[in-house]
Amino acid sequence: MMHVVCWFVQDLLSVLTWGTMQVPEVFLLSLVSRLLTQDRETNLPVIWWAFAGGLFWDLRWVGIPGFFTLNYVCVVMVVIWVWNTLPVSGRTLPVIFFLFWAAQVIPSVSSLLLPGRPVGDSKWTFFLVQQGCVVPLALLGVFFFVRDMKGRNA
Amino acid sequence: MTREWIHGLVALTVGLFLLGASPNFGFLKGIVDLTGNVLSVPEYPAVVLRNLSRDLYLWSRDKSDLTKQLESLKSENAKLQIINSVLVAEQIRAELNARMDDARVTLREPHSWWNEFRIDRGLDDGVTMGLPVFQDGFLVGRVSSVSSSSSWVELLTSSSLMIPVVVEETRELGVVVGDGEGSVLLTYIPEARGIEKGMKVSTALVSETLPPGIPIGHIGGDASASGSGYVTYKIIPGASTGRLYSVSVLKHSRSILR
Repeated sequence: MMHVVCWFVQDLLSVLTWGTMQVPEVFLLSLVSRLLTQDRETNLPVIWWAFAGGLFWDLRWVGIPGFFTLNYVCVVMVVIWVWNTLPVSGRTLPVIFFLFWAAQVIPSVSSLLLPGRPVGDSKWTFFLVQQGCVVPLALLGVFFFVRDMKGRNA
Repeated sequence: MTREWIHGLVALTVGLFLLGASPNFGFLKGIVDLTGNVLSVPEYPAVVLRNLSRDLYLWSRDKSDLTKQLESLKSENAKLQIINSVLVAEQIRAELNARMDDARVTLREPHSWWNEFRIDRGLDDGVTMGLPVFQDGFLVGRVSSVSSSSSWVELLTSSSLMIPVVVEETRELGVVVGDGEGSVLLTYIPEARGIEKGMKVSTALVSETLPPGIPIGHIGGDASASGSGYVTYKIIPGASTGRLYSVSVLKHSRSILR
């Protein structure tokens, strides 16, 4: 349910800021947050949440089914791979921040390739404005991660 | 791990298939439209909010532009008014200079020393009754009678010459009149109007024949109350009424006497 809400929040943000900025990937942030905090059994639904969310995003905003579907699934797979490869001692806060941040960068950069998007310098303006919003969101993700870990260890 | 990879690879394959095959799906446009229509209902508040904020932004930008434009026009208007005033003043000055004529005092009888004197300019020179006479740019009197080659000028110090005036600093109106003994007084000024020593006095717009703004002198003496709510001030004339050898007379023109 939380993923649906996050997807919808991202959708509303896109409506509100249409033509002015690229919105942060709130939906993907919720998926990554779940991957990092929940047990491995929940990874399979997350993959299909990414697939469904990406597909709906394509149908709503892009018109090319498969574009964000692939992006989101790729990001989720990369995060699963990195997270499971890392030893527990290597799962430090900077690494977690980097994972949250990277999850935002991959779809954002690839979306710059889409036809009909702003051209020239404004492409990078769109991207940079989004990144300005992403850093606080990534920090928020780290905060929730730390809070979740403390709750588990308590 | 294997299950995750299998599911991931399946999802990626389906995604790739959709991406590659979507241009061939004719019904896809209908699905996209349907998704947009369905989501337009929950998105409606966001659309309204976006339009509202856009209108607000455009309104504030327009208002800011209009304010700037208004300020610019105000500034331009003030400059134009100054330029216009300068031009009008220059025009009046040029007109007055063209109408000014020097006259020599030819007679000043001892028994009417503070009342009148005669000048060597008359009807033939364009002098008519009522015209102002100056010394060093200050009003010294006005023409009281004219002959063909000479005129009599009634002095400011004469007790029968009354001239409407204004105190320039306070815009208070009064009447200047002489006492027949060399002094000039400002009368009919209501009490407690803030008139102070040194304030300038000039002719007022209410006069029918004298142009407004002709300097007369300044407040020089203490006030003396008349008892009826009015105060009389002593005026120090700008002109030397005791030493009059030559004066300037304003020749007749209909335009200045309007």
